[in-house]
Amino acid sequence: MRIVIGQGSCGIAAGAEKVRKALLNTDINPENISITGCIGMCYLEPIVDIYNEDKLVRLVKVSEKDAPAIAEYVKTGDASKIEKLVVSDEDSEFLSKQTRIALRNCGIINPEIIDEYIEKDGYTALKKAVCSMTPEEVIEVIKTSGLAGRGGAGFPTWFKWNAARQSKGEEKYLICNADEGDPGAFMDRAVIESDPHNLIEGMLIGAYAIGAKHAVVYVRAEYPLAIKRLKNALEQARQKGIVGNNIFGTDFSCDFMIKAGAGAFVCGEETALIESLEGHRGMPRLKPPFPAQSGFWRKPSNINNVETFANVAWIINNGGEAFAAMGTEGSKGTKVFAVTGKVKRSGLVEIPMGKTLRDVIFDIGGGMKTDKAFKAVQMGGPSGGCIPADLIDTVIDYKALGATGAIMGSGGMVVMDESTCMVGMAKFFLDFTAKESCGKCIHCRIGTKRMLEMLDRITKGEGKEGDVELLEELCYSIKDGALCGLGQTAPNPVLTTIKYFRDEYVAHISEHKCPAGECSDLIEYKIIEDKCKGCTLCARNCPVQAISGTVKNPHSIDTDKCIKCGKCYTVCKFGAVVKE
Amino acid sequence: MINLTINGKAITAPEGSTILEAARANGIDIPTLCYDKAVEIYGACGLCVVEAEGIPKLLRSCSAKCTEGMVINTESKRVVQSRKIAMELLMSAHEGDCVAPCQLNCPARTDCQGYVGMIANGEYDSALKIIKSNIPLPAAIGRVCPHPCEKACRRKNVEEPINIAQLKAFAADMDLNKDSYVPECKESTGKKVAVIGGGPAGLSAAYYLTIMGHEVTVYDMMEKMGGMLRYGIPQYRLPKEILDKEIAIIEKTGVKLVNNVKLGKDFTIESLKAENDAVIVAVGAWKSSSMRTPGEELQGVYGGIDFLRAVIQGNAPEIGEKVAVCGGGNTAMDACRTAVRLGAKEVYVVYRRTRNEMPAEKIEIDEAEEEGVIYKFLTNPISFNGEDGKVKSITLQVMELGEPDASGRRKPVPVEGKTEEIAVDSVILAIGQKLVQGDVSELTLNNRGNIEADPDFFTTNIEGVFAIGDATNKGASIAVEAIGEADRCARAVDAYLNGQALDTRVPYISKRDESTIDYSDRTKQSRLTPKVLAPEVRNKSFAEVSLGFTEEEAKAEANRCLECGCREYYKCKLLNVAQRYDINPERWAGEMPQKYTRDENAFIERNTSKCILCGLCVRSCREVMDIHAFGLMGRGFTTEPSPAFALPLDQTKCNNCGLCVQLCPTGALTEKFNLPKQVPLNEEYTEEFVDIDGKKASVLVSRYNGKVLRVVPNDEVSRSSGLSREELFNLL
Amino acid sequence: MNKQPIDLSLLDGVLEEYASVKGSLITILQNTQDIYGYLPREAVELISEKTGIATSEIMGVGTFYTQFRFEPVGKYLIMLCQGTACHVNSSELILQTIKDELGIEDGQTTEDGLFSLKCVACLGCCSLSPVMMINEDTYGALTPDKTKKILKELREAAL
Repeated sequence: MRIVIGQGSCGIAAGAEKVRKALLNTDINPENISITGCIGMCYLEPIVDIYNEDKLVRLVKVSEKDAPAIAEYVKTGDASKIEKLVVSDEDSEFLSKQTRIALRNCGIINPEIIDEYIEKDGYTALKKAVCSMTPEEVIEVIKTSGLAGRGGAGFPTWFKWNAARQSKGEEKYLICNADEGDPGAFMDRAVIESDPHNLIEGMLIGAYAIGAKHAVVYVRAEYPLAIKRLKNALEQARQKGIVGNNIFGTDFSCDFMIKAGAGAFVCGEETALIESLEGHRGMPRLKPPFPAQSGFWRKPSNINNVETFANVAWIINNGGEAFAAMGTEGSKGTKVFAVTGKVKRSGLVEIPMGKTLRDVIFDIGGGMKTDKAFKAVQMGGPSGGCIPADLIDTVIDYKALGATGAIMGSGGMVVMDESTCMVGMAKFFLDFTAKESCGKCIHCRIGTKRMLEMLDRITKGEGKEGDVELLEELCYSIKDGALCGLGQTAPNPVLTTIKYFRDEYVAHISEHKCPAGECSDLIEYKIIEDKCKGCTLCARNCPVQAISGTVKNPHSIDTDKCIKCGKCYTVCKFGAVVKE
Repeated sequence: MINLTINGKAITAPEGSTILEAARANGIDIPTLCYDKAVEIYGACGLCVVEAEGIPKLLRSCSAKCTEGMVINTESKRVVQSRKIAMELLMSAHEGDCVAPCQLNCPARTDCQGYVGMIANGEYDSALKIIKSNIPLPAAIGRVCPHPCEKACRRKNVEEPINIAQLKAFAADMDLNKDSYVPECKESTGKKVAVIGGGPAGLSAAYYLTIMGHEVTVYDMMEKMGGMLRYGIPQYRLPKEILDKEIAIIEKTGVKLVNNVKLGKDFTIESLKAENDAVIVAVGAWKSSSMRTPGEELQGVYGGIDFLRAVIQGNAPEIGEKVAVCGGGNTAMDACRTAVRLGAKEVYVVYRRTRNEMPAEKIEIDEAEEEGVIYKFLTNPISFNGEDGKVKSITLQVMELGEPDASGRRKPVPVEGKTEEIAVDSVILAIGQKLVQGDVSELTLNNRGNIEADPDFFTTNIEGVFAIGDATNKGASIAVEAIGEADRCARAVDAYLNGQALDTRVPYISKRDESTIDYSDRTKQSRLTPKVLAPEVRNKSFAEVSLGFTEEEAKAEANRCLECGCREYYKCKLLNVAQRYDINPERWAGEMPQKYTRDENAFIERNTSKCILCGLCVRSCREVMDIHAFGLMGRGFTTEPSPAFALPLDQTKCNNCGLCVQLCPTGALTEKFNLPKQVPLNEEYTEEFVDIDGKKASVLVSRYNGKVLRVVPNDEVSRSSGLSREELFNLL
Repeated sequence: MNKQPIDLSLLDGVLEEYASVKGSLITILQNTQDIYGYLPREAVELISEKTGIATSEIMGVGTFYTQFRFEPVGKYLIMLCQGTACHVNSSELILQTIKDELGIEDGQTTEDGLFSLKCVACLGCCSLSPVMMINEDTYGALTPDKTKKILKELREAAL
């Protein structure tokens, strides 16, 4: 029996490493204990997969205390003590309803062992490309596949490759943008942590196609595990002659370099990323010239996102047509989403384009985890927007999502229920973009700050009539005037929330009310006398002693003292504390 | 060559040139703030955006290249909106005073900081010229003006405002006591303008229009020019000899002065109109207002301005020993102090509120009291009682202060049943003055009974006829207000004579939020006032009360100026672009990115709160000089150009080349003037060449009124010479 | 907290490897911070000397990226995630709890030098939100009580 523990960052954060150590302390043969990357069922972490021949027993929410029971099962086959840990059929559907291409090896192979990748047909596509295809043929296959940039903008990959290929110059660079900065998105991290060779293979094919001898991965510093596994994978690939000179005995050579970002969202923008790679402040350059003409060290450069590269090997092996067979007219293949927020089953979901938001959030994600109704889903992070409940049947397609005012984005899908204030949501993203603005252009540097200040006033009940119109005016101007994508898309969260939730803005401004009950300046906590049992729990938990009352008698809140921390609301077992 | 169209004009541009280059080469101005040929294209400010047909995004013209057949619009609605918002945002984060608050609060927009500063520097001629560019009668105005400038003076937050009015009188007197400054007039335009009324408004309008090259005649009904300055202000405040001298200077510029002719009798507006290209009506308000109190018709009851005029003309009426002056304004003060000087034994000032609410200048109130005037506060006449048609006493209603009224002052309300009676020989009603409506029957009046004139264009119901001063709109006000209108009206008339309409509204300027200013580092230094005649001397004489500043006093007082206004005002690129678009940055008011701080060395001053992050300083220091004294620190809203570790410039490799200052589009980096007291001046730059170690080097020399203010390195030789500013000065 | 005297020789290896490799400034600064816990001015000056990059440029880069610090940090560096999922799942409450427990604001260090608090961009553990990292360890599904417990345990472990 082989025991595999899911050890992506999420799994480790949930306690997977402790589980592994506990298992190593049992009498299970340590050689049979292995790790894998992110399975994608993040809400069930830590996950332990037990393979017996072809049979898989998946244990979820495992704690180190369960190690003896697992050991017993391994030894005796007695499953009675682990039965409660076995994944439910319902939860298994989370994976079975997906179609995995980019994530095909995630949670299956050990990302730290190259042979496990090779066993899964790893590096066969690279071999096929460099040994039996011309770069133009590779580009043609990618063109046929319809693969588009998965970083957010959805620009056709073949077109960029072709532009870089056509660009004059001996020295060219192929760059992978792994600066996954959208808050709420972690697809790229999962791919690198769980299947780093798939990325390396995709990049090498790309490098071959554009004629680059240098490949660079720009990865967020916040992803130490991803960096570690990628470095390890590269080392193994080098040893096997897959990275370096004369790959597969051909005259194609390509070296690799990993550069860690240092914490700047704007470096997800191509030209800022290049500035950062060169060791400068990550401030975007003017385009044109585009990186394909003048990029890293002013040489022709091509930049794609991790997930884009993660599809490449599969496409080369299975043909462009197979990829294009999935999806819609304008959006081909699959897309990975990081589904989080108020959804029951959160994690990584890869589905063919053309499915609906409902498929992802309700069918796969299982709907809301709270008893509150689904309100909206945020897609595309700070560049995207909020799609409201009545557009839940929107098809996942670049054009259809764009039409809502949101964007496909890199794949963050944050689900919100009725308790999320949409003005607060817009403020959250503006706070993010204002902090991340590089400060170079006026519209973004000052515009995002001013939008944030206005939103802040609105959530505090200090909004004025006309503020919404003023916000809109500023939004359109920033979209028009900002220098780079960060600024140009920064107004989207504001514009979409105004478009779909204008009433909420109006309620904040005209009535000084937050319909979602989230803006602390606009709500008051109260105790309903009839429901209060006088248990004193709220009073004991109140950090400012604003709650008074005697045992077994109804309590009350002194609203002057109350700091609206919500503690009483959270601890009350009888639903006696309400927000108004 | 590439063919393209910009703003409908077909042009050609060399291959590879940017839209900006092509536009500028063809005289089409596209604003920029972060662009300079000396450094690489940056693209930050976004002001250079233009719209190109068929391209959905706005293009930054500094970097976008011309392509064949391109159709460009540099001023489309979308472009203008983008620039406008950019400028609004920029100004919402730019903390600085373009001009000092004293200047802003002066109705004539006199550059107070400018002349005060030049007095501090001992440059009295320059000070006078600065004043005369807004006020042609400074010796008079300096003496009589209630100086709104001083009310705005920030020095009051340290201790007391600068004595700006007296400094103006000082500079003007210095000029009158020598060969006085007479401005040069522009070449004659052949256009004729008639001005009706020779008061401060009419004379000022005539003065400025004459300088502009027009032929101007002033018609006045009195025997001498000066209007209310002559006939409404007593000799002890404004000696008529001073006024005569100032009017003589105005006459020297070429203005024709015609006295003893009256509108409606000797000519009409239409008749003047027929003989001139434009007419300005500045007839003033020559009728005393009534109190509508029973007994006003009695003998011995006089109107305030009527009384003052009679005294000045040598026809002082019989006022007896007991005189009551009704009113609390400056005319009331002039009347009561004149009554004292005429020998009255008991002079009362009857005022319905208290001393604190009196609109008169505090110094007037105090000096009148010193001269023996008795204040009857919280009293209001309810009847003037007479015998044989002559006034004998006043019945006063006793008042108390109630709730504040619209003006913010507490409203006087009668104390039920409480009255008082005082015996008087005469009464002077100094409660206001009005237009004599019959004189201007050709013009449309407003509901206040004044001439209706556009507040910004000064036009009236008759084409080519303009109106200003006390006779218009809100009615009588202070002289400097009339002069301000005259100055602006002169420009409006000049434009009219050129077939244009000029909106004289003051364009946008940047102001600091007063509440955020910290004065704790200033040393207290009391305000100086000129010495005055002793009360027991002056109450018997019409000799001027104020003895004026001595030179030493004037310099010391002027040195107290806090230098609020920006030294780069006259050449600020930022302001220039801001004024080009109708902006309202208040809409986006919010936090300021930087604290208002100053870092200075011997000749450069840095103030990052004015910085607009164009990056030119950092970029030029890096790209042109390879010195790297600054870097951009931090990111986003609070990004700041600064030396590493926030060191002062002197502790970096800075070689004082001054390139960053030269490129700075605003006042974030400024080079000091070669003056002890720093003053914003509209200096003139010329390029000159000096010899540095046998090499020819270019320097820019700025001068004002002939005096060298700055010498700035202007090429590689001078920039890398390492010479100090003093050494460069010596090379000139 | 007193700053330790800086042993600049610790930088020798880093500078030897990267000083002459163009484009390596960020890497050098990351290594420097790994050594000292922050970027001491003396180190920046030495880097400038060895790489020929002006201190103004180095500080420009250093202050641009949120990863870099210019003051020593506490024994435990708490990085509280500010991602969307964490926001939706009330990370604000966790921030408040940490501030209350430690009496410090974002970017500050406790007087005893034990804890530093830094709000950071999304850590990518969204399914476990709200999340914080303390040094190398990630803590997920935080509640105010759980947060207090973690801080208490760390404080005790340090004593």
